[in-house]
Amino acid sequence: MAMTLAIERVTAFMGLDVLVARDEGLFAEEGLDLRIVALPPEEVRSAAEGAAAKPVTNQGKLQARGESQMFQA
Amino acid sequence: MAVSTVGARQVGRRATIVCAALVVAPDSSVFTPQDLAYQKVGLDYGNGTAYAGLQMLEGAMPREAVTTVAAATSPAERFAALMRGDYAATVLQEPWITVAEKAGCRLVSITFFHGTWVATPDTNPEAYAALLRGITRAVHRINADKRRYVSYFKRDWAGFPEVDALKPDDFNLSRIQVKEPTPIPESEARWAWEWMASWGLIDGTFDVASQIDRNLEGQAHELATAVRAV
Repeated sequence: MAMTLAIERVTAFMGLDVLVARDEGLFAEEGLDLRIVALPPEEVRSAAEGAAAKPVTNQGKLQARGESQMFQA
Repeated sequence: MAVSTVGARQVGRRATIVCAALVVAPDSSVFTPQDLAYQKVGLDYGNGTAYAGLQMLEGAMPREAVTTVAAATSPAERFAALMRGDYAATVLQEPWITVAEKAGCRLVSITFFHGTWVATPDTNPEAYAALLRGITRAVHRINADKRRYVSYFKRDWAGFPEVDALKPDDFNLSRIQVKEPTPIPESEARWAWEWMASWGLIDGTFDVASQIDRNLEGQAHELATAVRAV
């Protein structure tokens, strides 16, 4: 039975490796069921709402509520 | 990174190295990062690209001359704002660096940086090790034929005409860098913390134990290496 791991959504500019590994079945071959989870669009906020010392970021939101174990910072 | 409400800490470097560029509009009088002194630069605060932008600026001028404004998380929106003239420059990543170049924009500075993985304390080390093994194999495949994989940068932005129009040969492959993931060097984490603190972006002193879960990081990397060696 495959191990499962949930990570927050990645895009190519910072997670090309993850996307290629998923699409080419490399995680499955390693016995991993990788789930990539994304924030609902209505919950996504823009950095334009923040300030340098008080930034607005979407990173870690799903992890904070128990919907993923890992994210990329 | 700020303290996590669920006890999450960093557990290793990512494999994809981010390329970030300071970009100016085609008709800009700016040709060097020094020319951006006291000019508004749009940064997506809170993201690695913003910190990379800030580092490129501070390397070219006194800190008091660095003038930044909050910009959108979406590089598509930052690019559009740049072309509208909302700011003198912004920081972009791929595929928007390539889009900008095709639109006649100039890159006045370019840099690369590692990011990290952040994991909750209950993350299974064996599952993380399997993630690392899959990633490492992907790194080898990408490095063997980068051009084959540039479509991924387009796929993220499908439906944006400027991106849809890109052809594989438009991409500069030197801006696409991946390497096998490794643990985080403490000196690097400390420097990043202290640099952010020097700008007032983070409070407190660096404490490696609160920032990096060396137990999970070490177990996963050892397991990943051990299985690969069999």
